[in-house]
Amino acid sequence: MKIFITDGGSYSFFTAVFDAYSERECVITSDENVQMSFGNEIVNVGTDFEKCARVQKKIAACDPSAVDDILIVLRSRDNLKEQAAFEYIKRLIEKKSPISRAFNLPEVIIFDELKHKVTGEVHKMTGFLRFMESDSGAFYAPYSPDNDITDLLMPHFAARFREERFVIHDIGRKIAGIYDGHEWIMSYAGEAEVYLSEYETVFRTLWKKYYRAVNIKERPHEKQMKGYMPVRYWKFLPEKKDG
Amino acid sequence: MIDERKLEILTESAKYDVSCSSSGSGRTNRPGGLGNAAAGGICHSFTPDGRCISLLKILMSNECLYDCEYCPNRRSADVPRARLTPDEICELTINFYKRNYIEGLFLSSAVFDSPDKTMELLCETVTKLRKVYNFNGYIHVKGIPHSDSALMMKAAHAADRMSYNIELPSERSLKLLAPQKSKQSLLLPMRGLKEAIDYDRINKVRKNKVIPAGQTTQMIIGASPESDGQILKLTEALYRSMDLKRVYYSSYIPVVKSNKLPAVGAGLLREHRLYQADWLIRFYGFDVDEICAENENLSFDYDPKCAWALKNMQYFPVEINTAPLAMLLRVPGIGAKGAYKICEARKFGKLDFDNLAKMRIVLKRAKHFITCNGKFYGSDSIAQVKASLMLESGEESRTQLSMFSDSSTSLSALTGEL
Repeated sequence: MKIFITDGGSYSFFTAVFDAYSERECVITSDENVQMSFGNEIVNVGTDFEKCARVQKKIAACDPSAVDDILIVLRSRDNLKEQAAFEYIKRLIEKKSPISRAFNLPEVIIFDELKHKVTGEVHKMTGFLRFMESDSGAFYAPYSPDNDITDLLMPHFAARFREERFVIHDIGRKIAGIYDGHEWIMSYAGEAEVYLSEYETVFRTLWKKYYRAVNIKERPHEKQMKGYMPVRYWKFLPEKKDG
Repeated sequence: MIDERKLEILTESAKYDVSCSSSGSGRTNRPGGLGNAAAGGICHSFTPDGRCISLLKILMSNECLYDCEYCPNRRSADVPRARLTPDEICELTINFYKRNYIEGLFLSSAVFDSPDKTMELLCETVTKLRKVYNFNGYIHVKGIPHSDSALMMKAAHAADRMSYNIELPSERSLKLLAPQKSKQSLLLPMRGLKEAIDYDRINKVRKNKVIPAGQTTQMIIGASPESDGQILKLTEALYRSMDLKRVYYSSYIPVVKSNKLPAVGAGLLREHRLYQADWLIRFYGFDVDEICAENENLSFDYDPKCAWALKNMQYFPVEINTAPLAMLLRVPGIGAKGAYKICEARKFGKLDFDNLAKMRIVLKRAKHFITCNGKFYGSDSIAQVKASLMLESGEESRTQLSMFSDSSTSLSALTGEL
């Protein structure tokens, strides 16, 4: 069986789809730690823009919104994302018409779940992201999302903050979205050193006080709180930190 | 800068207000402005009681002229009092918003000085927030009964949502427990807001619309003797005649000692059942009469949809592959999302139980009411069906009630702004 290994990017993925499509049995993955076994043939896939374009054109002919859906699924942290997208594409081309709501097909259910995990995390982060004001007046939000979503969050906050400069920093992936009050760009970002503004701790303290005061102590329901706001997100929430 | 202690007092006083949603408005940002509104609403945090924080929910003041029987902030109560200025509130809102702590402001107040004076200051705050601070995030402001209607309209042009609280489910109870308020003082402004919204819609007003996210209300359940049937009838009438977006219920907790109030609380289960019924009315195509007769209460043992289904077994089982959407919505255990998924999926092929399970349709309750390709996996014995449905509800009621049982230590369920 052939195993197509992509570089993790979407161009490489669509190139791999082109090469893998005629194979009877094969796997596409970006996971370099894929299980090796005798009889498997490893193919490292680069980027071929012409192949990419042909694959995307074919997909779009079956369902105009499918390419966008696939680009969202490819942001998932799930190791099986490429394979799930590949299975979805194969089924889509077989059916020749949109299958995004064919919830009776296993490929669609798996693909749809991955997609919702990504879009769901984007929605959650529009709420759970926390900015701090630096002494330069720019706002800085470090976080560590499950999926690669920083550039999906940028338009939301750019529209909100409009004239305020801000940075959203994905600590785990070492990338950041930077907005200068007009435009935003994505950039590599390792460690960041941030000097806080004079009032930052004051508002942080007020927020913590507010959080404690608005809770109804007599009706504890921690399970529900953790269900809606998973513990792994807490380390960036001032209200969930001690002191 | 706002004083920490004041913030605590005015948050504590506002915390029992049940509405905190930030949905329904698509307000956009303006040049030089800060913020916009997300039509679907955004939750920014969750407190250990499991509730969401979306808006900065505070009272402007908890100093109250009124002496409503049930309220911990009533004039005769001995509690710490505080008041904030419009600028203090604006500054706090802006700074919380910039840090993405909140989606906007939910401003309410006890009635201090006079109803007009209170409304005037609420109005000044929200107008200032829009015009001086150039804030375009979400604003929900409470209307003060007996205040001037011009003030109400001014606030309505600045806010995304407004609410006048109906307080109690009947005029009689209102007279007994909140004698300074009257049915007219609550319904008149609600009617006024509805007419203003209608005017904007009919005349296709685009800019500066009044409360784009509409109005809501809230009432206390169990402080007075009305049945669930009466409460739901009132709810339905409010949805129909006032176009309300939501009716919120708040279950009564006995904290204030009074011979006019019951000694025991209504319990969270009753509140929960009312919300379930409210959902059935708004999203599932049920009429109140189908769910609950005028002088009856909802069943504690079964949720209202189960209770309805058990009384109407002649409609079941329904065939998943052919039943119309309206009927799928009436199957216990199938929600709006599930019904939609089924309708979409069956266009592509026949569905069996395995498909349903993979689509994450919970079959535990539903299996007694459906067939898939003619196959039925439920129980034929109505007694068994009842037992299996009830077991679940039993568990629910235990947890619900134990959450509630230590209410004697609670400060109160009800506040001055209600």
